[in-house]
Amino acid sequence: MDWWVWLVAVVMLLAAGTGILAGVQTRRRRGGVIVVRRTRPKGKGKAA
Amino acid sequence: MNALMLASDITRRPVVTLGGEAVAQVKDVVFDGRAGRVSGFTLSGRGLFSGPLRQALPWEAVTSLGPHAVMIHDDTALKPRDEVADPAEAAHGNVLGARVLTDTGTNLGHITDVVIEVTATQALVAGYEITPAKASGHHRQTVFIPLARTIAVSGEALVVPAAAAEFMADDLSALEKAIPEFRNRMSGKEA
Repeated sequence: MDWWVWLVAVVMLLAAGTGILAGVQTRRRRGGVIVVRRTRPKGKGKAA
Repeated sequence: MNALMLASDITRRPVVTLGGEAVAQVKDVVFDGRAGRVSGFTLSGRGLFSGPLRQALPWEAVTSLGPHAVMIHDDTALKPRDEVADPAEAAHGNVLGARVLTDTGTNLGHITDVVIEVTATQALVAGYEITPAKASGHHRQTVFIPLARTIAVSGEALVVPAAAAEFMADDLSALEKAIPEFRNRMSGKEA
């Protein structure tokens, strides 16, 4: 195969990898509003 | 009336110590459904590739929630994440996207944001921004509904009194006016 085919393939692979990484990062960092049923007790002991 | 702000405006806000060091940024707002107030924040790192942190910020440790940053005294304010939000609850408890139902069984729409009323000592959940259901007759993309003190909320659905539909507001300033009227109506019903 010609060298430029390899070049295009490598560039496309890098672009896809960057896109996937950016998507995963955005998903990990996306904020929300979490509802908890009660405020967690302070300290390590559990509430009775 | 105290300052109203949207939860989406708080997320991604930097957490800064009084010494001027940005130690994290806000990821999620943690909402104590039973008390109707914000109990803290989960955090993510500040770097490009940093993800969620294992530490979280309890509301008691916040010295000020300003328009551009969440201020804390120093990084000892950060606590283990499971002291602020139970990981099991956090996995299923995101109210954004939850359905809004009245206590008479009418679907009002879906939650798109949470309105927070910040006072000197606490941050109360004062209402919700919702995408109205087609059947509700609203043609705007989003509307605001006030919140009563007693609520039922989960990651699945928010149950509001049927009267909340009468107090829908088009923007935050209209919601600010609707909240005391709605609370008066609800306290009159409870009395």
